[in-house]
Amino acid sequence: MIFKRELKRNFKSLMIWSVVLSGLILLTLSIYPQFAEQQNEMNKLLEAYPEPMKKALGMNELSLGDLMGFYGIEIYMMTTLLGSIYVAILASNILAKEENEKTIEFLLSKPVTRNRIVTEKLLAVFVNILIFNGVITIISMIGFQFADDPEVPAGIFSLLIVATILLHLTFAAVAFMLSSMLKKTRSILSISLGIVLAAYFMNVMAGISEDLEILKYFSPFKYVDAAQIIRDHQLEPLYMFIMAAVIFISLFVSFMVYRKKDMAV
Amino acid sequence: MNIVDVKHLTKMYKKNRGITNLTFSIEKGEIFGFIGPNGAGKSTTIRTLLNFLYPTSGSATIFGKDIVKQSKEIRQKVGYLPSEVHFYDDMKVVDLLKYSAGFYKTFNPKRMKELAERLDLDLHKKMEDLSFGNRKKVGIVQALLHEPKLLILDEPTGGLDPLMQNTFFELLKEEREKEATIIFSSHILSEVQKMCDRVAIIKEGQLVKVETIEHLTKNNLKKITITFEQANAMDFNLEGIAKKEINGSEMKLLYSGDIKALLHQLNTMPIQNLLIEEPSLEEVFIHYYEK
Repeated sequence: MIFKRELKRNFKSLMIWSVVLSGLILLTLSIYPQFAEQQNEMNKLLEAYPEPMKKALGMNELSLGDLMGFYGIEIYMMTTLLGSIYVAILASNILAKEENEKTIEFLLSKPVTRNRIVTEKLLAVFVNILIFNGVITIISMIGFQFADDPEVPAGIFSLLIVATILLHLTFAAVAFMLSSMLKKTRSILSISLGIVLAAYFMNVMAGISEDLEILKYFSPFKYVDAAQIIRDHQLEPLYMFIMAAVIFISLFVSFMVYRKKDMAV
Repeated sequence: MNIVDVKHLTKMYKKNRGITNLTFSIEKGEIFGFIGPNGAGKSTTIRTLLNFLYPTSGSATIFGKDIVKQSKEIRQKVGYLPSEVHFYDDMKVVDLLKYSAGFYKTFNPKRMKELAERLDLDLHKKMEDLSFGNRKKVGIVQALLHEPKLLILDEPTGGLDPLMQNTFFELLKEEREKEATIIFSSHILSEVQKMCDRVAIIKEGQLVKVETIEHLTKNNLKKITITFEQANAMDFNLEGIAKKEINGSEMKLLYSGDIKALLHQLNTMPIQNLLIEEPSLEEVFIHYYEK
């Protein structure tokens, strides 16, 4: 019941985010052939970029002239960053909205346990993330067809997609936890978006300066670094473990907090 | 058999006052009123009974089931109308009612249409387009739709016009004939008097008294304001004057004696104006405390 309702309620925003991101992906991939064609000149041009900047964008390890490298630098940034923003918004709202708009009084007067409310809403977030990533994957594969040689290594591409989903789930889990704890959707939204953006900038900073490299351990964006995945052909197990732990703990806390929360409207 | 059994129920908030040590029970088929000024703890009591709030101490059962541990089973047979009705704005009335019905074991579309018709509610309007009174009607339908054994109504008549209030009271009477028990909170004394068998008077989070309506109305307390023609009110004494206040040519009484005796007395006096009113709740409370 609640699951279906949440899918319906969030469908519009899923559509908008998917369409916008799809547009960006297609647009970006459509200029790839030119990049590939003028690879030599491009490389020369890029040489001129300051080293820290290249590092920050992962361009020191990846090549824009290679389709997977191009994806890793240009598209991956969009799917991870914009996608994380989308899932943070989605998960921040989903529980607290009922309290914020005082509809929780209606919902809780029905014969439904709080655990079920949390479970169904969580499931709705999960399904939305999967659909969103499904769209990204399909659109990217369509976009690859712009290239003269549209073949990409399936293994690495799947790893990048899995990494994106894991990153989205991590941010969604944290935002979901905030949604279970607080009541005002607006403050939850600011905190969640703050976390996503702070994590992103920590990743960029860690790339720019050796001194700040320690920051990378705090940024989930670093955990799913495209350059590392393309280079190593695997997801770093330690990072995967950290993300899994963050997801697990956040969800556990969400259930515990929501179960015992006083719903005073 | 007691439908509701409350024992030493206490709910403390961090900041606000909650409810302290409430003990009472409600019998099957009874219409039980909660009465008290705003902020007295009526809603807190109701929300604790429905497990929106966790009790700080004490316990309560509904249908013999624990309000915390077996809340879901309890709510299967409870209909709740909140004092402020908030629904999902993007839904149509009919969608909301179907959503609501989906949580229960049974759904009777015929009953939904009947209830909506009697309350003059358009099922195909969007929630966001509804007035406060119409939202309240949606609230009433969703509370009654699954034919609950216990109805909990938190200030149910606010926002309803007098005609609708009558329809609403008729609906309640029908539920009562089906042996439903009804809890009814209000700060309007006359409303409670009209409907309820017994009332619990709550003030500042505490139970002042549980009283049958008969007993309350036997007191028959009236607030009487007399304006005399001359500048100074003429004093008189009658049996049943609970409180007297003289202010220039005006005299204010709380009177629980025989109305005829009063009128007889006044007949002989040069009075300019006479006002007989139901006392406000505060005045009833004062009356109660002074006794």
